[in-house]
Amino acid sequence: MVVSKQVHPLDKYVRVDRLPHLWCPGCGIGIVMSAMLRAIGRRIGEGVFKEEDIVVVGGIGCTARMPLYLNFDTVHAIHGRAVPFAVGVKLANPKLKVIVVGGDGDIAGIGGNHLMHAARRNMDITVIMVNNMVYAMTGGQLAPTTPTGLYTTTTPRGNPEKPINVVKLVASLGANYVARASVTHPALIETYVYRALGKEGFTFVEVLSTCPEVFGRHIGIKDAAQLFMELREKVKVKAKPSLNESYYDWESGFVIGEYVDKDDPGYLRMFGLLR
Amino acid sequence: MPALQENAETVTASSGKFKVIIIKNRCKECQLCVTLCPTKVLVRGSNPNARGFRYPIPKFIEKCIGCRTCEWCCPDLAIFVEVVGG
Amino acid sequence: MRAEYVTSNIAIAEGAMASGLKFFAGYPITPTSDILEYLAEELPKRGGVVIQLEDEIASINAVIGASWAGAKAMTATSSPGYSLMVEALSFAIITETPLVVVYVMRAGPSTGVPTRSCQYDVFQVRYGSHGNYELPVLVPWSAQEAFDLTVKAFNVSEMLRVPTVILSDAMLAHTWEKVIIRNPGELKIISRRKPEVPPQEYMPFKPGEDLVPPMACFGDGYKVMVESLTHDERGYYSPTTEVQERMIRRLVEKVRRNSHLIIDYETYFTSSAEYIFFAYGSTARSVYALVKELRREGIRAGLYRPKALWPFDEGGLKKIASEAKRVFVVENNVGLMYKEVAQVLRDKEVISVGIIDLDVPSPDRIKEVISEWL
Repeated sequence: MVVSKQVHPLDKYVRVDRLPHLWCPGCGIGIVMSAMLRAIGRRIGEGVFKEEDIVVVGGIGCTARMPLYLNFDTVHAIHGRAVPFAVGVKLANPKLKVIVVGGDGDIAGIGGNHLMHAARRNMDITVIMVNNMVYAMTGGQLAPTTPTGLYTTTTPRGNPEKPINVVKLVASLGANYVARASVTHPALIETYVYRALGKEGFTFVEVLSTCPEVFGRHIGIKDAAQLFMELREKVKVKAKPSLNESYYDWESGFVIGEYVDKDDPGYLRMFGLLR
Repeated sequence: MPALQENAETVTASSGKFKVIIIKNRCKECQLCVTLCPTKVLVRGSNPNARGFRYPIPKFIEKCIGCRTCEWCCPDLAIFVEVVGG
Repeated sequence: MRAEYVTSNIAIAEGAMASGLKFFAGYPITPTSDILEYLAEELPKRGGVVIQLEDEIASINAVIGASWAGAKAMTATSSPGYSLMVEALSFAIITETPLVVVYVMRAGPSTGVPTRSCQYDVFQVRYGSHGNYELPVLVPWSAQEAFDLTVKAFNVSEMLRVPTVILSDAMLAHTWEKVIIRNPGELKIISRRKPEVPPQEYMPFKPGEDLVPPMACFGDGYKVMVESLTHDERGYYSPTTEVQERMIRRLVEKVRRNSHLIIDYETYFTSSAEYIFFAYGSTARSVYALVKELRREGIRAGLYRPKALWPFDEGGLKKIASEAKRVFVVENNVGLMYKEVAQVLRDKEVISVGIIDLDVPSPDRIKEVISEWL
């Protein structure tokens, strides 16, 4: 097995001895990882934080495996609990720059309660939720974000549930920054993550993603490029959409953009914990 | 100057303006770069890498406009673009 | 130092602060809420952070995160709350995270009687988390001991990089007693060992001579991988039998081999005792009174009282019970630690005296049960 030394411009932020990563061919998570690293690189260049101060926390699932590949202090925590872990890190050492990465199931399913309260507290962490609308790692079970009517292994006759609109939920709780991006528009992932990393308070970016192996297979599109194009068709870009436009519906599509961008005091400032 | 160069680790093509580098063993043949390149610089290769995936070849490098769509849409840190002459 | 009139709950909080506690996350639960409340008042005065989180699961996970950020961290709960924490404790065990959990037992199962006492959870505290591991559990019988053993719990957890539990109960929690509260300068305080090699040479799970890896924390520049999957010395997922066995054996051995740092016991009137009583926590206080009464009646009774329930003390118990005719295991449950005692003293007659009492079983109640055996 040929192991790469640092070749790609982003390799300095990557544990290259662990590449190639485990995500399937065409999986959107890799696109998110690269965009996120570019945004981090930009902020490091501006002196907003240092490389040694970054902590990336993931729970369990495909997206949550990202910390294994990142060359920072990283965590592979337990399912749904990356957010409270991150809260403990930030409160114990406010100097650290704490980023949570996870899938829709980990962050908004089992982790939903922790997501809600961290957002409500305007806790000073950044959460990036990669949404592929299915529990992919475990083989394709229903997710809280699975569109109505779709086949999953646990809803073989079609999903009877309405999916959750995480953007609207997090916005309703008062988070300082709420954006929705898509792997089909990688430059916007970088822009929104860059913005999120530069603000205090709870900053949240949902990234719609392609999962050709599992989700794609369930809807009959197994080809990665074709699934990418299918999602790209459904995505509309609007710079500053209102929450009424945040509807989450596979049929009518998704509006990506920055839904909330405000500067309320974050938790640390509120409680005199800024050091 | 040969347009296409290949070694154990990478395959590289250079026009007068842009250079495209592919890290062969990272590629998973997802075809996102090949499909999304607006000027169709890339074609699916015929040679498999260590894992059996056929990495792309920047066969038509002279068409490259340096948009970096391939670099940004690759999930695998397997392709990137350099501007020739710094 | 100063003398205070406080409960075990308060003594535990003071012991934690004396040990250098800097982060506490908790959730209200009877009979433990006043630890969270007291620390919410006091800990910020000493530069620490207290937060009431949305549930016990958030609390224990935040404590693990805080420990990795370099802080001495603690949470406190009761039986139903510990049930919620066991998964995260398994995570703390495999990642070798120093932290302290205060477990104040209350009558169960389930909601049970929130304000009243028991010793039902002595196995749950040790085995509740999934996996194979050793988990130190210290068991005070008074408010003074609650203070002292909390300081010890922090030291043990930092030395061995393992979550450590202080096991109390509803009776002790709110019983007021005199406690000598020592200041940090008057105590032996131990903190986790830091790496002595530079980042390029450091491996987060490579053990030292004592089987414990030095611990680099977030922000120290070591780019650590905190991994809940089975991992090798680098913290990289490694699903092979070789790595799994090596990891499991070390997690178990690092505590067992260092058990002399944890195991401790007291004996009362055990020399030339015909009958040895084994009791711990609040129940031991009644047994102590009973043993004194029996001695006054001419019966040669003695009390062996462990101060650490886990790892279980085999050597000390065997030695103390070596001349005994009969051993009574008195506890406020259906007879649980009895199994451990009977196993260790298998060549002796060991009798289970499991008494269910919402407070502490009184000396009279215990005497009634055992009198036919004397």
